[in-house]
Amino acid sequence: MMATSPMESLSSGFIINIELFFITLLLALPLGLVITFCSMSKFKPLKWLSRTFVWIIRGTPLMLQLFVVLYAPGLLFSMPMNSRFTAAVIAFVINYAAYFSEIYRGGIESVSKGQYEAGQVLGMTKTQIFFKIILLQVIKRIIPPLSNEVITLTKDTSLARIIGLAEIIMCAERFTKQGLIWPLFSTAVFFLVFNGILTILFGWIEKKMDYFRV
Amino acid sequence: MKKIIAMLLVLVMSVTGLVGCGSSKGNEAGSTSAGSDSDWAYIQDKGKLTVGITLFAPMNYYNEKNKLVGFDTEMAEAVTKKLGIDVEFTEINWDSKEVELSSKNIDCIWNGMCITEERKQNMSISDPYLYNTQAMVMKKSREKEIMKSVKGLTVTAEQGSTGEGKIDGSIADDDTVKVSAQDYFKDANYVASDSMAKALMEVKSGTADVALVDSVCALGMVGEGTDYSDLVINMDNNFGQQEYGIAFRKGSDVTEKVNEAIKELYEDGTVDTIAKKYGLQEMLIK
Repeated sequence: MMATSPMESLSSGFIINIELFFITLLLALPLGLVITFCSMSKFKPLKWLSRTFVWIIRGTPLMLQLFVVLYAPGLLFSMPMNSRFTAAVIAFVINYAAYFSEIYRGGIESVSKGQYEAGQVLGMTKTQIFFKIILLQVIKRIIPPLSNEVITLTKDTSLARIIGLAEIIMCAERFTKQGLIWPLFSTAVFFLVFNGILTILFGWIEKKMDYFRV
Repeated sequence: MKKIIAMLLVLVMSVTGLVGCGSSKGNEAGSTSAGSDSDWAYIQDKGKLTVGITLFAPMNYYNEKNKLVGFDTEMAEAVTKKLGIDVEFTEINWDSKEVELSSKNIDCIWNGMCITEERKQNMSISDPYLYNTQAMVMKKSREKEIMKSVKGLTVTAEQGSTGEGKIDGSIADDDTVKVSAQDYFKDANYVASDSMAKALMEVKSGTADVALVDSVCALGMVGEGTDYSDLVINMDNNFGQQEYGIAFRKGSDVTEKVNEAIKELYEDGTVDTIAKKYGLQEMLIK
């Protein structure tokens, strides 16, 4: 019944997962840092605004956030979202940026005060201290929790099917409807291979960071 | 401590307040935009009718040339041609079809949808165009045993489907019913599945003994060349007939336009031709 073979269809579906994955990472990693700076700001209203935002995003299901991004513009302002992919990207970027921001915050706050003081003694400015002393230590510390989150992201991209984005599991379910079960279960292979590559990559990055101790 | 609690309370109240405003605004927008004569104007202005579908044979599916075909596909194409607008098919998640419609992500649901009282109240539904019945699907090897009695067995149906409504009695039996599904399955255990395809997978994997699904769907899923070749469709019990309709936004004036167009397509024989192509001529409502 389906024109393309299951393998072709699953592959084309997985491309959407991968696109969503990379675009989300590309945008959420820097946005997370902005949220971290807001959350750690000395300016109280900004700090509370940012923490409330993180609380809402981490406190509600990603599935619900996808619904809100796709449907709210049409429901509230009669201006329907014209692309389901864009809607998915917006929801994923906001969601993952919130999680990343907390990972960054943990990393930054784990650097001992002595490091800042040493920088001050040397007469460095705040920005210099952050970029020349703190940042690399932070990166080293956040790699393991970050890799955890990134691997979760690959699998979460499949949630986009609930707003009708034809990612791999939605493609597989089309075959289920025609009475073919195996495509659904073979989607696991795609995720396993992709996450295998990611695991190797993160292992390599961790090793590269091994040249100094924190 | 008291201060913190007070602050938290204020926060919670302001957030719920915001959400509350949002939803009431939504209702307003919904009712004004679905107002008497604006929907057809809106679609004409757009130049195309966005049809929400899920892929399943024989209603909407891709053929060997990778072209979207099916009874509903061709009907929608014929109707929009008659109305002088373009048609665009959008794949949706069936569970959120009502939200898709009111958020204007789609303009109609045209995908073998059973007409129910509940749907009539929430949406504007076209004249019925196709009949459907409920079919029991079970393992071929156990057909005799199951058809004798379903006592103590597990029955499954798609959540929110006609089959489920018939089993739990939320969809009342009308005069087309020969056997009441509610009585028939009263000694069986019920589990819900999230789609008709999953309902069949329950039966195949043995986690349920029998599935109650739309006959039109079942015919497209079970049989030679599928993983369900060991399953069988049994329609001996007539649990009643349902009718398929097209759903538009509540209060939409597009419904009438489409009804008229379909009537004309019946008269010039187009509907018959399309139905014959997909083996559905017996199911047509004339």
